[in-house]
Amino acid sequence: MSTDVDLKDPGIQVKKSVCFFCHNNCGMLVYVKDGKVLHVEGDDDYPVNNGGLCSRGNVNQIFLDHPDRLNYPLKRAGKRGEGKWERVTWEQALDEIAARLTQIKEEFGAEALATAGGTQRTDDWARRRFMNLYGSPNGFHNAHLCWIPTFMVETAIYGWCPFEIDMGNSRCLVLWGQNPAASVLPEMSQISNFKKNGLKLIVIDPRFTESAAKADLWLPLRPGSDSALALAWLNVIIWEGLYDSAFIENCCVGFDELAKHVQQYTPEWAAPLTWLDPEQIRLGARMYATNKPGNIQWGTAVDQIGRPGGATMHARALLRAVTGNLDAPGSDLLTGPAQDFMTDEEMEANDWLPEEQKAKQLGSDKFKLITWEGYGKIAAITREVWGKAPTAEWMCEAHPPTVFNAMITGEPYPVKAIITLASNPINSYGQTSQVIEALRKVDFHVSVEYWMTPTAALADYVLPTACTLERPTITSTYGCSDFLLASQRAIPPMYERRTDYDFWRGLALRMGQDEMWPWENLEEANYYRIYPLGYPVSSYDEFVENYRFHFPEREYYKYGRLGFATPSRRVELVSSTLAELGYPSMPSYVGPAENEIDDPELAEKYPLVMTSVGGFMPYHHSEHFQIKELRFLRHAPRVEINPETAAKLGIQQGDWVWVETRRGRIKQQAELTQAIHPRVVTTERGWWYPERGVVEPDLGGCLESNPNVLTSVADEHCDPLSGTWANRGLLCRVYKVDGKDGQ
Amino acid sequence: MEHKEDIWGWMLAVDFFFAGMGGAMLVIGGVAGLFLDQGSASWLGNILAPLFIALGAGLLILELGRPFRAWRVFMNPKAILTVGAWCMLLAIGLGLISASFAFEIFPWSGASALRQAAAALGAVFGLVVATYPGILLGRHKARPFWSGPGMMVLFLVSSLATGCAALLLSGLIVPPETSGLQAILPGLTIGLLAFQLLLWPAYLWVKHSGTTDREARAAELWLKGDFSLGFLAGVLLAGTLLPLACLMLGGTIFQAIGALLVLVGGLFIRLLVIYSGVYRTWLPGEEKYRSRLPTGDEAFLKALKSK
Amino acid sequence: MARYAIVLDTRRCIGCHSCTVACRVNNNLPVDMIYNPVTTVGPTGIFPDVHMVHIPLLCMHCANPPCVECCPTGASQQREDGIVWVDEDKCVGCKACVMACPYGARIPNHETGIVQKCDFCMDRVLVGKEPFCVKTCHQRARIFGDLDDKTSEVYKLVNREPVTRLLPELGTEPHAFYILD
Ligand SMILES: Nc1nc2c(c(=O)[nH]1)N[C@H]1C(S)=C(S)[C@@H](COP(=O)(O)OP(=O)(O)OC[C@H]3O[C@@H](n4cnc5c(=O)[nH]c(N)nc54)[C@H](O)[C@@H]3O)O[C@H]1N2
Ligand SMILES: Nc1nc2c(c(=O)[nH]1)N[C@H]1C(S)=C(S)[C@@H](COP(=O)(O)OP(=O)(O)OC[C@H]3O[C@@H](n4cnc5c(=O)[nH]c(N)nc54)[C@H](O)[C@@H]3O)O[C@H]1N2
Ligand code: SF4
Ligand code: SF4
Ligand code: SF4
Ligand code: SF4
Ligand code: SF4
Ligand SMILES: [Mo]
Repeated sequence: MSTDVDLKDPGIQVKKSVCFFCHNNCGMLVYVKDGKVLHVEGDDDYPVNNGGLCSRGNVNQIFLDHPDRLNYPLKRAGKRGEGKWERVTWEQALDEIAARLTQIKEEFGAEALATAGGTQRTDDWARRRFMNLYGSPNGFHNAHLCWIPTFMVETAIYGWCPFEIDMGNSRCLVLWGQNPAASVLPEMSQISNFKKNGLKLIVIDPRFTESAAKADLWLPLRPGSDSALALAWLNVIIWEGLYDSAFIENCCVGFDELAKHVQQYTPEWAAPLTWLDPEQIRLGARMYATNKPGNIQWGTAVDQIGRPGGATMHARALLRAVTGNLDAPGSDLLTGPAQDFMTDEEMEANDWLPEEQKAKQLGSDKFKLITWEGYGKIAAITREVWGKAPTAEWMCEAHPPTVFNAMITGEPYPVKAIITLASNPINSYGQTSQVIEALRKVDFHVSVEYWMTPTAALADYVLPTACTLERPTITSTYGCSDFLLASQRAIPPMYERRTDYDFWRGLALRMGQDEMWPWENLEEANYYRIYPLGYPVSSYDEFVENYRFHFPEREYYKYGRLGFATPSRRVELVSSTLAELGYPSMPSYVGPAENEIDDPELAEKYPLVMTSVGGFMPYHHSEHFQIKELRFLRHAPRVEINPETAAKLGIQQGDWVWVETRRGRIKQQAELTQAIHPRVVTTERGWWYPERGVVEPDLGGCLESNPNVLTSVADEHCDPLSGTWANRGLLCRVYKVDGKDGQ
Repeated sequence: MEHKEDIWGWMLAVDFFFAGMGGAMLVIGGVAGLFLDQGSASWLGNILAPLFIALGAGLLILELGRPFRAWRVFMNPKAILTVGAWCMLLAIGLGLISASFAFEIFPWSGASALRQAAAALGAVFGLVVATYPGILLGRHKARPFWSGPGMMVLFLVSSLATGCAALLLSGLIVPPETSGLQAILPGLTIGLLAFQLLLWPAYLWVKHSGTTDREARAAELWLKGDFSLGFLAGVLLAGTLLPLACLMLGGTIFQAIGALLVLVGGLFIRLLVIYSGVYRTWLPGEEKYRSRLPTGDEAFLKALKSK
Repeated sequence: MARYAIVLDTRRCIGCHSCTVACRVNNNLPVDMIYNPVTTVGPTGIFPDVHMVHIPLLCMHCANPPCVECCPTGASQQREDGIVWVDEDKCVGCKACVMACPYGARIPNHETGIVQKCDFCMDRVLVGKEPFCVKTCHQRARIFGDLDDKTSEVYKLVNREPVTRLLPELGTEPHAFYILD
């Protein structure tokens, strides 16, 4: 019997909300009566999902009042991690936290406060605003692993990041380390639509994914070897004359130099590095270059390969440039920042952070592109050309491993306090041993969460946050899109939950920032943001109810009017911005963070290549493992192994196996599959076991199956441009878990 | 192998066993009473026949998800189960009536025409009860081991064999007034067992070389897979060959052992046949899908189930 | 009279299990009851020459449903519009239908003892809405409609695309039509 509601019931209100269980933010209609949610369904009129919802979307109502959700502010009562808590009021919690942060600032300087975020789960301009006014440059997210390095490399080269792809008019789509069929489902639906009209699909992925299964060409490269492939494609396209000469002539600088530079990178050269054959490489390059217009979609893989990441993004960006696939119909669009509403950056109060504090940003001496130096340079140019800058929260952050290191060692200066909000660093940041040590050691830790996660369990205060149904939301792609989609609160927060905005503002008011927080709640702030759009509405809710979206008219070839936002106003095939920051102006080959060629000895001990994937259904990072309706469908973590390799290792389908790198080992269940190369294994990321309870030392089994135990944040494994660390393409070995160790 | 699909379990197998046995006892007892000169079975056998069927019916009810609504199974005349239920009910009634004639306290015990009519009708419904499980199973087109008319023959033969053996045993415990039936039962059982000995290999051979791949794979499980040990040791050896030998040796002790073994064999057949129904013709990818679902004792299920 | 049917487009299905969750959550099913699994066939072949397809399942709403015929209580019924459903009041949980259904579409409920199944979200369909699993499928791999209506998408797909049915040899005449590659 269905639980469908009787929509004719006069007491029912229909609220226009969104799902916030991933960045897609699918539109939902929420049927509410007397402040209670009766039913949730996809909104047919919402352009992202057209009424559909994924498995996570369907558990919004269960999530809302799940018995394990945090509902009241908690203050640590026992030893840290012991699981003993005292319920306190918000007022008490905020008063005490504010007092402590004030004291830390006085004693150690504002930079002794860090905040760790996840990726785009919440209104992060408020976090930045608070930190800027407090005076600390040490906010960060694991956005290093997720698009931000790509954004900044591309913006350095052609003045914006083409994350908006004009697929409807495209003839070829390259999914470079992306598996939308498990991670960006609405996009996959579009791909299927356009494939019917002849769109060619190329998938570059070591695994035969759900998306690869629909591809015209699948290039299963060695994890982490992407820079070799990108350079070889450049070689083919340039030296076979497949480039767009008019675009290069009119819009680019440095073509001859680039041509000469990539002459060495032939497909034959790339073959042994990528484990592909030269003809496959040529085939892919030709398919992309000759089916114009075409797109290269962003995938998170390249942001996570560590050391070779920057060079790879750089080479991949140049592929778009030499084929002229930029800002033309059907290609990758350079929309620029929103012109007609307040962007996140404009809400961040970045001017308030003193220069000397900016200089203290941890990691900025090593990794320049997404810290103040690089960001400052790039933001200045985009301001000149576009009038606005990209969001600083995300594009300009402390380097997380460097901050964790400072928490542990006090070097280069002590970091004494951390606020973890909308993130579970123990599961999601690199090299977990470091993260967990830092969180055990730090003097003061506040966590703002939905659940008692392994990270929250190590906090001194845990504050309950309002979820998507309980708060209004503006969707605008890390604050960088020229459009926005707006959604409203379906119900007021249940129990004593509050929005993240209320948390930051609550702290801010107690720390003398009153004047800077005139908006009493998120609706007021959002109204302020959309007000310049000029719609005839008197509140944010009214905007949502009557308009909901704002899409400016699409303008192709904007560079004709504005030029590209680079120093030369052209696409810089030889990048002056990167050169000025001390980086190579053209990309050269950089091998995977750990690999058999540079380090054969290591490869002898760890003969397999490990990668980790995020996009698998029904989970989202380290979330939703508590929800039995989802957990039932995938109840244990799987590591994919080729049957040939498994046979050699005496491993059978379903066996628990250890995967070990130099940094540690984890266990997952063997999934024997022809989807991957005999020398590669893929681990599923995010796993922990909330059902065990989350107390020290087990902390919900957060070290047991979590691939980040294996990953590396060592400086030499990080990308020198962005500091992104190495999750993918590392050397490992695999062996069976014996007897007692199994589950 | 772990499958999440729920299927009929041992209770139904035991039901089929007892009902089949009881039904066959009614058939044999009835036919003997009608056509053999000195024919009837011992009163113990006569009374056991309907009781066995009733026991079977009881198990069937217990196997139901909602036993207290069992009466509803009489509602769809097109369903074999409904037909089976009616026949069981009638067979129990007629069997009890037939058996009652042996007891003089009942005023009607002298009415021999009535007795013959009840026996004849009892035999008819007993035959249906002994046969319908085979028909029922044989109609399952997507359960390759069952499908086809063969099941009916196998069930009928096995029911008759167990029915003979049960009557034989009853006769050994409470010798009948007349010895005609008791004398031919061992031979009859031997004949049925011999037939069964031919029938099973033939059935498996037909399945194995048979029409579809799936049937071949289903038969394979009996020849070398999950069911082969039960089949060889339980059905063939303990349930057919050994009792054959015992009955051929003769003598009360061996006859009793032989008859008991026939029952064991009959039970084995029912259990194995019912369990082999797990092997539905899988849809593409279905087997893997099911094999990965939680089995029920995962920690997360226990901890999260109430949430 | 309508004749309801569903088309399952495996070219579009990505095996995300959203439909499974939508059905379970909205139909309030216990956690271990699944009306509409989505299976994966493959990857078949040897790396890197491999192939994979996802098969969304549910009750086939057979025109000739063995599950109805075998039901001793008459709880299992077929409507004129083709929807096969269980009148839960009448069901005694004998599992005859579980055994008879060739498609694994009959699911015993361990809490209540009865057998349940996909009913094409009858109460939604009868007021003109799509089944939950169809609505939630953002890939439009499940397409529901009336086969008697020549303007419906299912009619067009069934008549224009190369559709197949599962286990057609059994003569059950499923009203679930698959588009394979
Ligand atoms: N090894 C490996 N590591 C990876 C990846 C990988 O593929 N492999 N992927 C990386 C990528 S792409 C990303 S984006 C990151 C994600 O990393 P994170 O963003 O840290 O993701 P989660 O671990 O899910 O932690 C998010 C936490 O925030 C809580 N939360 C969710 N929404 C809100 C909110 O609105 N407010 C508050 N206060 N809390 C909220 C959730 O309950 C959850 O505990 O992980 C990265 N880490
Ligand atoms: N179900 C689900 N969906 C999600 C998320 C989730 O956690 N779960 N997270 C959301 C977030 S924050 C993000 S960023 C996106 C991420 O979504 P995607 O960009 O699709 O990222 P992943 O699935 O982590 O990885 C994509 C593919 O990279 C492949 N890969 C691994 N190593 C390499 C390599 O070295 N080179 C190349 N070229 N490919 C490699 C993997 O096999 C994988 O199929 O998904 C979003 N959607
Ligand atoms: S979790 Fe699913 S429903 Fe929610 S926004 Fe992401 S894709 Fe949409
Ligand atoms: S929701 Fe659609 S795409 Fe996803 S598994 Fe179900 S049918 Fe396939
Ligand atoms: S699929 Fe099974 S339950 Fe559905 S109508 Fe056909 S036989 Fe009945
Ligand atoms: S379980 Fe219920 S619906 Fe199925 S056959 Fe028995 S009575 Fe009919
Ligand atoms: S049609 Fe309705 S009941 Fe049937 S599988 Fe889909 S959601 Fe479930
Ligand atoms: Mo991400």
